[in-house]
This record gives sequence, C-alpha cells and structure tokens, in this order.
Amino acid sequence: MTVKPIIEIENLTHTYMKGTPMEHVALKGTNLYVEAGECIAIIGHTGSGKSTLIQHLNGLIRPESGRVVIDGEDLAKKKIDLKTLRRKVGIVFQNPEDQIFEKIIGDDIAYGPFKMGLPLKEVRERVKWAMSVVGLDFEEMKDRQTFALSGGQKRKVALAGILALKPKILVLDEPTAGLDPRSRNELLDKIKRLNKEEKLTVIFVSHNMEEVAMLADRVYVMADGKDVLSGTPKEIFTDKEKLVRHQIGTPETVQVLYRLTDLGYQVRTDAFSITEAADEIMKLFAGRKEGTEHVQRI
Amino acid sequence: MKKSLTVRDIVIAGVLGAVAILLGVTRLGYIPVPTAAGNATIMHIPAIIGGIMQGPVVGLIVGAIFGISSFLNATVPLFKDPMVAILPRLFIGVVAWLVYAGIRRKSEYLAVAVAAFLGTLTNTVLVLTMAVIRHYMTPGVAWTVGVTNGIPEAIVGTIVTLAVVLAWKQIGKNKKSKISQDL
Amino acid sequence: MSSEFDISRNITIGQYVPTGSFIHRLDPRIKLLIFVFLVVAIALNTSYIGNAVGLILSLYLFWASKIPISYGLSGVKPAIPFIIILAVLQLLFQGQLFSGGKVFVDYGFILITSESIRLVIVSAVRFIEIIFLSSVLTLSTSTTELTHSIQSLLSPLKKMNFPVHEISLITTISIRFVPTFAIEMEKMMKAQASRGADFGSGSWWRIIQRTKEMFPIIIPLFNIALARAEDLILAMEARCYTPGGERSTYSVYKAVTKDYLILLVGLLLTLLLLFYPFPI
Repeated sequence: MTVKPIIEIENLTHTYMKGTPMEHVALKGTNLYVEAGECIAIIGHTGSGKSTLIQHLNGLIRPESGRVVIDGEDLAKKKIDLKTLRRKVGIVFQNPEDQIFEKIIGDDIAYGPFKMGLPLKEVRERVKWAMSVVGLDFEEMKDRQTFALSGGQKRKVALAGILALKPKILVLDEPTAGLDPRSRNELLDKIKRLNKEEKLTVIFVSHNMEEVAMLADRVYVMADGKDVLSGTPKEIFTDKEKLVRHQIGTPETVQVLYRLTDLGYQVRTDAFSITEAADEIMKLFAGRKEGTEHVQRI
Repeated sequence: MKKSLTVRDIVIAGVLGAVAILLGVTRLGYIPVPTAAGNATIMHIPAIIGGIMQGPVVGLIVGAIFGISSFLNATVPLFKDPMVAILPRLFIGVVAWLVYAGIRRKSEYLAVAVAAFLGTLTNTVLVLTMAVIRHYMTPGVAWTVGVTNGIPEAIVGTIVTLAVVLAWKQIGKNKKSKISQDL
Repeated sequence: MSSEFDISRNITIGQYVPTGSFIHRLDPRIKLLIFVFLVVAIALNTSYIGNAVGLILSLYLFWASKIPISYGLSGVKPAIPFIIILAVLQLLFQGQLFSGGKVFVDYGFILITSESIRLVIVSAVRFIEIIFLSSVLTLSTSTTELTHSIQSLLSPLKKMNFPVHEISLITTISIRFVPTFAIEMEKMMKAQASRGADFGSGSWWRIIQRTKEMFPIIIPLFNIALARAEDLILAMEARCYTPGGERSTYSVYKAVTKDYLILLVGLLLTLLLLFYPFPI
C-alpha cells in the first residue's frame, strides 16, 4: 500500500448558487485520500456535504478550489476526458432503480457499454459478468421486462448497469436505503465481494453504522462541509469523546458494550462485530456460573 | 361538465401539470433536432398523455396549466400574449383524446401514436394561427414555420408519447434484448 | 461552473418577494381579478394613448409593490433581441395587411404605413406592460394565495357543476410537485451521465436517434411522476377523500372596503382601455 493514492482530494470547496441570494457553501475544505483496493465509508449528517463530495469523483461537479486527482488525472484542468473518467469511476446514486428506462433488463444493463461503442460480443460479455456479480442469472433474466421486478432486483439491475462499465472505483450513495433486510444483506455481500475479489476500490455513503463496521477499511466523518475525522472503524467507534462531539452514531454492538462499561463491567469496547461483541458478553457470563446457559437460551 | 372528476383524474392532472411546468422552465422541454427554431418542444406532451389516460377534461386542464405556465414564463412577445400562449393549448389534450378514443378499438399502439401526432399538430397549427391573427407573423412565415417546425415536432412528440405511454401501461411487443441477437 | 446539471436550483416558480406594500396586502382574489381584466384589456387595445396608459399603470403598480426594479428588468432584458427581430419582421412584412393610414415607404413588397408602425410599437409596448403586470402578480402573491383565490373566484360556478374545488386542488398539486420533480430530474441527469449518457451527441438531422437520446431522462421523469400519482391517489382514497364534497378552507379571505374600491378602479381602467375611443 505504498503506491500513490487512487483518489486525492485536498482542501476542496464548493458553493452552490454562487453570487446569488441563495448561495450555499456545501464544502469548506474537505480532504479525502483513498488507496487502490480500499473500501471507504463516508458518514455524516444530512447536509454535511457527502453527496457534493462524491459528485466530484467523476466530474459531475468540477472543483471550485482545491485539488481533486483521480487515478493520476487532475480534475482542475480545463480539458478533461469526462467520458473516460466516468467509466473509471462508477457512481450509483440513491434509489438507482429510478434510472432504469429500458423495457428489457439486458438492454438497460447494456446501455452504458453500447454508449461506449463496444462491439456486441464484448457488450454481451460485460452484461453477463455484471449480472453474475450482482447475482442475476444471465440466461433467465436478460430478456425479462424491467417493470415486473421487485425493488431489490431493480436495484441489482441498476448496480449491474454501472458495473458493466467496468469501473476501477465504485461509489455508492446509501446503497441499502429502503431495501428489506434480506436484499440489504445480499447487496452488502455483493459489494464486499466486488471489493475483495474483483479488487474494485469502493467508496460508500451510509447512515447505517452496522454496515460501516462490517464493510469499511476506513471511515471518513463529514460535518459542516469538512472531513472532521478519519480512521479505521475500530479507531472511530472507540473514541468515545469524539463520537459524542461529532454526534456520530455507533453500531448497536458498540452501544451495548459502552453501556456495560458504564455499569462497571470489564469489556473491550472495540469489539464491534457481532460475533466479537457476543464473545465479550459471553466472557462476562463465563465469570459467573449459570450465565452461559442463560445466554444460550436467548 | 356532467361527469365529476375522480380522485385519479385530479391527481394525474396535477402531476402531469407539474411535469408540463417543469419542462417549460428548464431546457428539458426542448429536444435539439432540425427545426426552424433549432429544437422541438415536448412541453405539450403531458397534455396529450392526460387526454389519453384520463379523458378530455384532464387533457384540457393539463393543457391550460401548460398554457398559463408558458404565458407567465414567456420571454418573447409572441407568448406573452394570452391569446397565443393559453387559448390554443386547451385543445391539445382534447384532440388527443378524440383521436385516441376513436382508434383504440383497432389498435392501442396505433391510437396512441396518431393521438400524439395530431395532438402535437394541434398545438403547432393553433399557435401559428393565433400568431397570424394577432399579427406576430405573416401567413407566409407561419406556413414555413408550420412545415419546418411542425413536422419534426410531431415526429418527436409521437416517439416520446409512445415510449412513455407504452412503458407506463406496460404494453409492448415481447421482444428480446438487443444483446440476445446472434453475433 | 457546475451549471451543467443545475436544474432544481435554477427554477423559480411563484417567487414571492415580501415587501409589505399595499399591493402585497391586497385581497389576493381582487388582485388576481384585476390582473386578468387588465391583461385582456391590454391585449386587445391597439391605440397609442391606451397603451401609454397601460404602460404607466403597470410601471406604477410595479413601483407601488416596492419590488426591486431588477426583478422586472430581468424579464425584459433577455427579450430585447426578440422585440427587435419581431419589430423588423412586422415592419417589413405586415405592411400589406395594415395598409391603412399614411404611406411612408412603398418599395417592392415593402410597404410601411402609419398603421404598420402602430402595430410594431404597440406589440413591443404591450409586451413590456404584460411583463411588468405579471411580475407584480407573481412577486407579490404567494402560490398558496393564488390557488385559494382561483378557488374562491370560481366558486360561483359550482352551481353549474363546474369542478371548482377540484381545479384548485389540481393547481395545488401541480405547484407542489414542480420542485420535487426538478430535484429528481437533476439526480436523474447525473445518474445517467454517470453511466455514459450524453445528451445531444449523434447527428443533428437524425430526429429519431436524437429523440431517443433523451429517453434516459424523459421516461424516468414520467415514470416517477405517475408513480408519485399512484401513491397520492392511494393516500387520498385511504383518507376517504371524495371529490365534490363540501369543505371549508383554513384561510378565509375577507375583502374590505379598500379592496372593493381598488377593484372598482381596476374595473374602470379596464373598461377605459377596452371601450374608450382614444384619438390616436
């Protein structure tokens, strides 16, 4: 991990409606460094600048001041190849199922690759790959109509539509919002696989701290247009003082462990994955006699 | 107006009116194709869809919303005249409904297409007629604009309306995906 | 700089500028009524003096509403080239239809008469009058006031089974959803651009292809709109909304003597513009 970061954002600012009465400063000097292959979570309250920040990553918003370098390309330059950039950085917006406009699933996923001017054979390969990654059966689903899909399936189609561009960096804005628990877990699993097996650099925005704890290698906390905190989930979720100061939510496991320490029990508060936390709690019971049985009954 | 409006009529008219206003105040309402004006307008399409989906009254109301919005937002003298901006627009949805209701027994697909085509032409022809009556154009200019603008606009209108209505009504030939063709 | 996708932030609908002037405090129904009367009167008046009266009146009303003049000018400025083009075209080509009055130029097909000059000047002035009048209305009246006014003014038509309340509700829904759809569209344009869409490439003369390029935006727009409609229908029916039912409103307008006086003045001005035989 000594190579140059794939994403370098330094001191980035952005103002909406500059020079009008409706002027609104969304970014006030944000930094973000991401190395190839990392999985980064961006958290923060609504209006903290997360969406504005990620829209800089594929040039939807051009840097007003500050530095944005994506895979060696400086986006502050006047002439940048937006098409290539947008293929390299795939952004999946919130509720991406709305963007499906073709009648047939295969056509919708193939939209991007066809726009790239790829030959049919290559397009088909890419669609096949994208569908298999998100867990849609190619032969069975490619000719189906899009409107008949469930919400979770539509989201998979939308994700496949981005993946078919074969991006190096995948950016997701609240990817699991509004999904049922089963689709949610399934989608998180796919994202994890893309990061670990397909070696995609993943950046995702989330309000769900369990997701953050489960997926992210590192976390950036945004507040009021700035990155106020960054580190591994372990570092972030164990810094109680900062958590309170920036009003960051924590995974439920962490909350339980903190409550236990407050009550005077000896537990490690950095054990936030569900299995680890369970082990910690079990240890407490192991200290007494019939405790273990009690937990097992639950 | 004997038949009263249903909840569905009210809501669909309101929502399509919102789309008409939105298309009017942003550049989304223009499709850059070769016409005398440099682009074809699709702002009248909500009125056509209103007529097709919910009948003449909804078509008329959406047309009125489109007309009033285009009158209030106009930056050219021609459309700052209520006789040009509002009056002709009332008929778009009504014509679309008449045509659609007349043909739909034969073919839903054809009915939507012809309704969109003639609905769009209604807009073009009536606006130009009013423009001539109100002396913004001479008949000669109006004819030229009518042919060079009206025909492409009617084609664009038909394609867009067909796509929207068929997608929404979920009709369509059960084709295969483009990627399913043989190499 | 990032204006490529800015839609939601750039649209202004019912841009209310509160200044507290007497025009703002006027009963909105009266205001709307006078506006409609005056626009029709101005649209039909073809005399110089009549339009001068209309121009002074609309400028006076704008001034009286205490709205910064820049708002009014921003409506006129972009239209200046169009006014000029229209004037030139009218001058050159409308002469044959307006052959009355003194002939100034008669050269080939070009015929410029005192009547065709009248047409040119009146068209341009009329445009400016209506710009200022409609600015006064939309800048001094909130959209809620406007929709309530429409409902209230149309209410006598209820007896003729005209769906007054329904029309007012439709207007409310329309205005309510414009910003929502604008935000959705901005997101949609960004989302589709992120997967390689570009709007307006391809050959200019290929109409069908050009139109299809807009599908990634237009089809979701209508789909989102109609899906929202279905949700709203369900929500309204679940609360047992029945069209045509008798219902009261939260805000009740009460016109006072002053309002009626102003209405009377407005009516008189309208009648003056419509029927007074102005000498020129």
